Amino acid sequence: MRRTSAAAVATLTAAALALSACGRDNGGGAGSSETAKDISSGKATGTLTVWAMGNEGDILPDLMKDFEAANPGVKVNVTAIPWDSAHDKFTTAITAGTTPDAAMVGSTWMGEFAGLDALDPVPPSIDTSAYFEGAQKTNEVNGTNYGVPWYVETRLIFYRTDLAKKAGVTEAPKDWEGLKSMAKAMQDKAGAKFGMGFQAGGQGSWQSIMPFAWSDGAKLTKDDGKAYNFDSPEMLEAVKYYQSYFTDGISDKAAPAQPTTEPDFKSGRVPMFISGPWMMSAVEKVGVKKDQYDVMPVPAKTTSSSFVGGSNFAVFKKSKNRDSAWKLVQWLSDPKVQAKWYGMSTDLPSVKSAWDDPALSGDPKLKKFGTALETAQAPPSFPTWEQAVAGFDTEMEKVTKQGADPAAALKSAQQQAESVGTGQ
Amino acid sequence: MTRTRSQWWLYAVLTIVLLAVIAPFVWMVLGSFKTQGELLQTPPTWWPQTATLDNYTRLFSRLNFSQYFVNSTIVAVAVTAGNLLFCSMVGYALAMLDFPGRRTLFLVVMGTLLIPGVVTFVPLFVLVTNVGLANSLPGLILPFLVSPFGVFLMRQYISGLPRDLLDAGRVDGASELRIFARIFLPLCGPALATLGILTFLGSWNNFLWPLVVAQEESKYTLPVALALYSKGQNSTQYGLLLAGATVVVIPVLAIFLAFQRRFIEGIATTGIK
Amino acid sequence: MSSTTEVTPSGATGRGSSPRGKGGDTRPASNPGAGASRRRQGLAAWTLALPFCLLFLVFTAWPVIQSLFMSFTDTRSRDLRTPFAVDIVGLDNFTKAFSDPIFRKSMLNTAYFVVVGVPLTMAMALAAAVALDKGITKLRGLFRLGFYTPVITSIVAVAVVWRFLLERDYGLINTVLGWVGIDGPNWLGDPNWAMPGLILMASWRNFGTGMIIFLAGLQAVPWMLHEAAAIDGAGAWQRFRHITLPLLRPTLLFVSVTTAIGYLQFFEEPFVMTNGGPLNSTISMSMYTYKQFGFGNYGLASAMSYIIFVIVAIVTAIQFRLLRENT
Repeated sequence: MRRTSAAAVATLTAAALALSACGRDNGGGAGSSETAKDISSGKATGTLTVWAMGNEGDILPDLMKDFEAANPGVKVNVTAIPWDSAHDKFTTAITAGTTPDAAMVGSTWMGEFAGLDALDPVPPSIDTSAYFEGAQKTNEVNGTNYGVPWYVETRLIFYRTDLAKKAGVTEAPKDWEGLKSMAKAMQDKAGAKFGMGFQAGGQGSWQSIMPFAWSDGAKLTKDDGKAYNFDSPEMLEAVKYYQSYFTDGISDKAAPAQPTTEPDFKSGRVPMFISGPWMMSAVEKVGVKKDQYDVMPVPAKTTSSSFVGGSNFAVFKKSKNRDSAWKLVQWLSDPKVQAKWYGMSTDLPSVKSAWDDPALSGDPKLKKFGTALETAQAPPSFPTWEQAVAGFDTEMEKVTKQGADPAAALKSAQQQAESVGTGQ
Repeated sequence: MTRTRSQWWLYAVLTIVLLAVIAPFVWMVLGSFKTQGELLQTPPTWWPQTATLDNYTRLFSRLNFSQYFVNSTIVAVAVTAGNLLFCSMVGYALAMLDFPGRRTLFLVVMGTLLIPGVVTFVPLFVLVTNVGLANSLPGLILPFLVSPFGVFLMRQYISGLPRDLLDAGRVDGASELRIFARIFLPLCGPALATLGILTFLGSWNNFLWPLVVAQEESKYTLPVALALYSKGQNSTQYGLLLAGATVVVIPVLAIFLAFQRRFIEGIATTGIK
Repeated sequence: MSSTTEVTPSGATGRGSSPRGKGGDTRPASNPGAGASRRRQGLAAWTLALPFCLLFLVFTAWPVIQSLFMSFTDTRSRDLRTPFAVDIVGLDNFTKAFSDPIFRKSMLNTAYFVVVGVPLTMAMALAAAVALDKGITKLRGLFRLGFYTPVITSIVAVAVVWRFLLERDYGLINTVLGWVGIDGPNWLGDPNWAMPGLILMASWRNFGTGMIIFLAGLQAVPWMLHEAAAIDGAGAWQRFRHITLPLLRPTLLFVSVTTAIGYLQFFEEPFVMTNGGPLNSTISMSMYTYKQFGFGNYGLASAMSYIIFVIVAIVTAIQFRLLRENT
């Protein structure tokens, strides 16, 4: 909608209400794939408005000084946005046409924003094979790339090495049975109240469950990527396995809504859990020593594959300075810049070659995250993903807390997802 | 006398209740001096083991906190002033004057009192953007300049004032507007105090609206800034959060302290009881 | 609805003995030249109402109408830039809302919260007000301020602290219960106890507002009546029951109406504490509606918010009906 006065809008509605002259245009929208224009050569110029969330938004201005130094004609204004409400802020801005030139975008929001026709397709001169494949895939909506990964994270299993030794486990298990018996041994021999800190369903629990399903070869879409697929046999196997931790008392089915992961890890009450790289500094902050714990990949059923998250960087269609915005994105993807950004933010680089930097390759725990990233997967970039997976999360809560039948739960999750539709 | 003894017991009981009630508040203030590690400790500590001013220095050095403070103050003061003026004007008209459409106006005001805020949020945002008020302080202020609740409150209070004043004013030949401004408004002190405190409190703590409307940090208000710096995608910096919350609550506490007597008097006499 | 306006001013408030007008519904005594006077009055009234009306029409009435329109369409977030290029779906959104098991669950949860929470909050508020009004003579301001702090403490700080208070193993509440030999529940982790935990927290947060209003109302209860009854040998409880309570009836109703309106829309407590869990046992209507907005289902979300509106209106009307019958 162009800028219209309130009165004009009011008249319009009145007319619309009176005549019921409504109805959808057929076709249109971002249903079909787009082709991208390339960008001009030369340096970035003009003013760029950039949004970034939380800590990233807080420190990005420091990094932008380098960009401005390399491109003397450009001025970057970074607006930091609180994570909690970033999604609302983006959608309202898209609605009103007040988006920034470029922004950090949560990796599960790409489908939605692209569906709102808000994002500019990635120009061909940006090489998308430089990024981890799983992370890159989150930018692909209907065959078109609408952004690039900026930083990534993946989920590994954290465990206390000292307690594992006590429990008689010296080597990280390689299969599902091994992982479970290790958790059980933590309870039996190392004094843990619960062997494994799995999330008992509820919002976001798919991020803990899917690594197991993916490690069993599950696919979240079917019919050529046109529909959700929550009730495959692989999913069922993974959910049954996950549930067994709760029925066997290895995981706490009555864990509080607000997890106490760090202190429980420190005290040995729950010496294993699955989470992302930020947990390293979090557990160290509460006093777990570096040599007291380690991380390991999610054990494979067929092949080990975890969840890849993180954030992308995208340029908005409404940008008046599109070429310079893409030059900024290109610059952010430079391996040297990525390594420098890791030093500033501890965000893991999305560009594979940046991992050769000694700051990253020298840390054995980080290296395991790097290896896991090679195979990690992301959920489909459907605009309705968040809503569809909310149903799954609720069903998983029934499975873990009430011992509901996994097959029935997945069937119900699939039905809910189908009624929501992929939104494309 | 039995009265003294029962008072003694009452003080004891009230003190225990008071402690229970303000404990979270006190914990918030004490927590703002703790480190992240200590805040995550189990069992939690009461007094800071190693008191630190770190959270406050980070709050005020790293962040543009004084700017947010100024924005919050401008918005809250403007919204409060608007409500005091406009709501008392309508309230007076509804209470004292006879005019066509009065009943309808009053019913509309009462009806909107019951509408959940979530109903109007998105259309309101689209509207504010379309008239070019996004990312401006007026965009933060204008939609809140009047409130149905304020009108209701002022109308109830003014209804309780003696009508003779109106007739006396008319006999003296004062204009209708003058009667309102010079005779009735000065009598509205307690109601204005009540409305003022409630409005200021609401505006000061408003979060979602300034978050979406203020698109640059230079327009952020305190609660938005607080949410911004204390909560990450996967982590919360509790110390910073508590320090910020403490800073945010102090002005409100001061205002309540200063006006609490008039506040209660206002409620007592508005007839909303 | 209009019954409020007629009832409220009649409650004497103890502001001296000045005669009080009977409120807006009485017409001014007609006098000679009434026509001109009425015109002048009408003009003045609308002049006074003008700023309000303008702001109200633009910033309240218009969005209300637009969202009402939205509730009868299949509007999703992507349609907002072309708000009229959507299909009218009649009452589909409303039937969809009522057939959604989670929305029905959220209605039950909200009812639970209101039915238990409102009386509890009011009882706490009344007890505090009575104690402060007649029970003690010193330090009233201190207690008043203290009891009001939860109202003005930021919800984020409240949430952090209450999570610790409600913790299963070392939380303050379970520790205290332990002293008297009760094994406290896993409050927020147990579907049966999460809601009581939130009700406790909401009552704590909101009783200060009710207390202030009750304190105001109690000023209208003449002390002399109490003295007289005490001489007649009435105990404290009897005096409270037979003198204070009846005189407080208008105040009680005001507090119950405002508290109920607030609690019917309760949102913040589950939003910061439980996110609606465990097993959707604390999801409220407002919160579920907000979630639908987040998913971009604007039509459905608008329909849900109008359902909340109708429920609030009905509950309010019932409360006013009770008031009219009893006074």
